[in-house]
Amino acid sequence: MTAAALAAERRAAAASAPPIAVEVQELRKRFPGGQPVLDGVSFAVRQGQSVALIGANGAGKSTLLRCLVRLIEPDDGAVLLFGRPLRPLGPRALRRLRSTVGMVFQRHNLVPRLSVLTNVVHGAIGRSGPGAWAQALAPRAVRAEALACLDRVGLADLADRRADTLSGGQSQRVAIARALMQRPRLLLADEPAASLDPAAGSEVMTLFERLAREDGITLIFTTHAMAHALAHAERVLGLRAGRIALDEPARPALAAQLERFFA
Amino acid sequence: MPDLPPRFARPGPAGFAIAAGALALVVSAIGGAGVSPTAFAEGLPALARFLVQAFPPDPSRLPNILGALIETFQMAIAGTAFGVLAAVPFGILAARGLAPGRLVQGAARAVIALCRTIPDLVWGLIFVVAVGLGPFAGTLALAVDTIGYCGRFFAEAMEEAERGPQEALAAVGASRIGIIACAVLPSALPGMIAAALFALEKATRASVVLGLVGAGGIGVELKVAMDLFNYAEAATILICVFVLVLAVEQASQALRLRIIA
Repeated sequence: MTAAALAAERRAAAASAPPIAVEVQELRKRFPGGQPVLDGVSFAVRQGQSVALIGANGAGKSTLLRCLVRLIEPDDGAVLLFGRPLRPLGPRALRRLRSTVGMVFQRHNLVPRLSVLTNVVHGAIGRSGPGAWAQALAPRAVRAEALACLDRVGLADLADRRADTLSGGQSQRVAIARALMQRPRLLLADEPAASLDPAAGSEVMTLFERLAREDGITLIFTTHAMAHALAHAERVLGLRAGRIALDEPARPALAAQLERFFA
Repeated sequence: MPDLPPRFARPGPAGFAIAAGALALVVSAIGGAGVSPTAFAEGLPALARFLVQAFPPDPSRLPNILGALIETFQMAIAGTAFGVLAAVPFGILAARGLAPGRLVQGAARAVIALCRTIPDLVWGLIFVVAVGLGPFAGTLALAVDTIGYCGRFFAEAMEEAERGPQEALAAVGASRIGIIACAVLPSALPGMIAAALFALEKATRASVVLGLVGAGGIGVELKVAMDLFNYAEAATILICVFVLVLAVEQASQALRLRIIA
């Protein structure tokens, strides 16, 4: 094949590929008195793609994930979500943008004393405001949507339960339902299976993958578990010394390389 | 094998100096406070006379005393309720990380400190001047005192609220007020309710004394009985007060245990 034909094929592939959902350009972050956590991180993720972000403890995975929605403010560089740069956004516009990005945390971060349904209804705060502060205040449509989200994660029958009475796996599934309630285009998950036993962790990761695929959601999750990275992501990004040191499609042959990456 | 370490560490020169200074402070305070074993011994017969005259208590004015007792408790409840309601916004504004700025936080903390450092009896005197004699002055005094007490504890409870749910709410696009309403207040609620119940106990005790400065309640009855040397009636009043305060403390403790569990 000639060079011209190759270039034409690449252009055609790029034209038919889904648009970029997340673009990170030369992102830098250093906490006071420490080494740089992120030292020029750049990558792009296409819409609908699922990406595992791996790295040793302290590699900056959680910091990077939080910088993607400015829960942590980067020192330098740019983040574009669906082509929109985050840096110039004022507080109101940032809140509106965050309301479309689901985020799931390692510790689940449910409000413990509130009901499961209220915790899921909170996912609609960005679009419904004070009407979504509690399920008792929420319009019927919001409550029904929250129950449907709980149903998707298999917990509709626990809607009335207090969040602090759930098991770890149930709690993380409620957190996923809260993220679904945001009707997200992008889902960020910070070690979503790390606080769960292997069986519950595997269930949660399978659920993530299924929901993301069903709704065409772009998924970026951090993990220490190579098995999760290989089984539930299409692509693996590795962070080392504040930079992307690995960027490969997830395939079984990558296992040995990942072993070396963590060594 | 090395020797066992001594049971008690030998204090250094600074430790000795601090201990000696503290002892000197206590001794000088006892002298300055006019503490006199002789005067105490000479006062014992008078105390015995009071007890002899006080018992058996005189229940002849019990209906009036119970009326005043109810008024006292109503002052305590109303003052605590107003104070707790006002303490919530002051607590939010005084809490680190929730206040909209250092200036607002400093101002809120100053107001709370002012309410707390001036004793409730002095607030009673001030409000008697402002709104006249009677239970309303006492209620206002208790409300201000409750703001001082609860404002501080509410702010601390909110500062100690779990960070995770707050971060999750920020991530879904909640505003600062939304985060406070949905994550901070639910987490801080047990501590806040415990503080409010302690405030009610405190207000119940304080409401008894407020009558001495004309701010309503059973304190007026107690003062009149003591001034007229009617110690038997005073004993009835003190027993009623004891029962009320004890009942409020027991109920408050039971509620606290139930809420915190």
